[in-house]
Amino acid sequence: MSDTEHQEDGHGSLVINNKKLLMWLFLGSDCMFFGTLISTHLIYRKLYPESYDPLLVFDLELTSFSTFILLMSSFLMALAVSAMHKGELKSFRRNTIGVIFFGLIFLACQVYEFAHFTNEGLTLSTNTFGSTFYMMTGTHGVHVAIGVFWLICLYFYSYTGKMNAHESAIDVEVAGLYWHFVDIVWIIIFTAVYLIEYIPGLH
Amino acid sequence: MTDTDYTPLPVAPDSHKDTETERYHTFVNLALILAAITGIELVLVYMPFHPIFIFTSLLALSLFKFVAVVAWFMHLIYDKLILTLAFGTGMVIATGTFVALGFLLSSNWVDVDAITQF
Repeated sequence: MSDTEHQEDGHGSLVINNKKLLMWLFLGSDCMFFGTLISTHLIYRKLYPESYDPLLVFDLELTSFSTFILLMSSFLMALAVSAMHKGELKSFRRNTIGVIFFGLIFLACQVYEFAHFTNEGLTLSTNTFGSTFYMMTGTHGVHVAIGVFWLICLYFYSYTGKMNAHESAIDVEVAGLYWHFVDIVWIIIFTAVYLIEYIPGLH
Repeated sequence: MTDTDYTPLPVAPDSHKDTETERYHTFVNLALILAAITGIELVLVYMPFHPIFIFTSLLALSLFKFVAVVAWFMHLIYDKLILTLAFGTGMVIATGTFVALGFLLSSNWVDVDAITQF
């Protein structure tokens, strides 16, 4: 009996599924990657507080909306994983489409935000704030785009009739882990990069 | 692609379905809590409180959101301890890097004017 068969219910066995373990290890390493990007941004922000005033370009309402959208997409992703574990393919498709839709809205908001910032004169090479900000949020955006692409692939794959409750539940769960990770990274970025700038007298 | 293409998956055991139904309610409650916290964070920055209080509150709220998503949405509390360790190791190194860099490159230690001139 393979480890995958042991992992039939996804939770209750003694053996850990290899795909799931690898994804968690990857997410641990990705934590370090984003940790470095966020650290760099915050440290340069502290070293050069006068280099740029982000309140000139930030739009907190838009960013809060993006955050809300990403949180709700995470909720739908959890439902999609749950549906797969129950073997409910229709419910899985419905929730996955919701996640894809929300992911695309988030990306659209980010493209709009970047375009707005560029029009206001903040580019990658303007100053240290621009460099670290675009690098960090851009990397996160690429992660979201990869997640959306992955989910679109899973959605269409569900129509091939090749999905089975054992393997596919784990595959969807692994995709879900990736999506949730993208969400938690944004939770940190939202607070550490956007909200903190609005606290009067902190800098 | 029509419903005729739909191939039903093997039916999950009843006990498993009960567990998933229970989790569904947890997910709904958590989603509502996360949305509410995001709203609180948004309002908090405009409140006339002391900056340190606002900063600490924002930090605590975002940490709660982070842990809640990892624990429940990512199923970490239902899974094996080794997965928590795999992810936790990355988190600890990331946090350690941030703290170490924060101390090393704090404005007390770095001659910002010299760097700017260079």
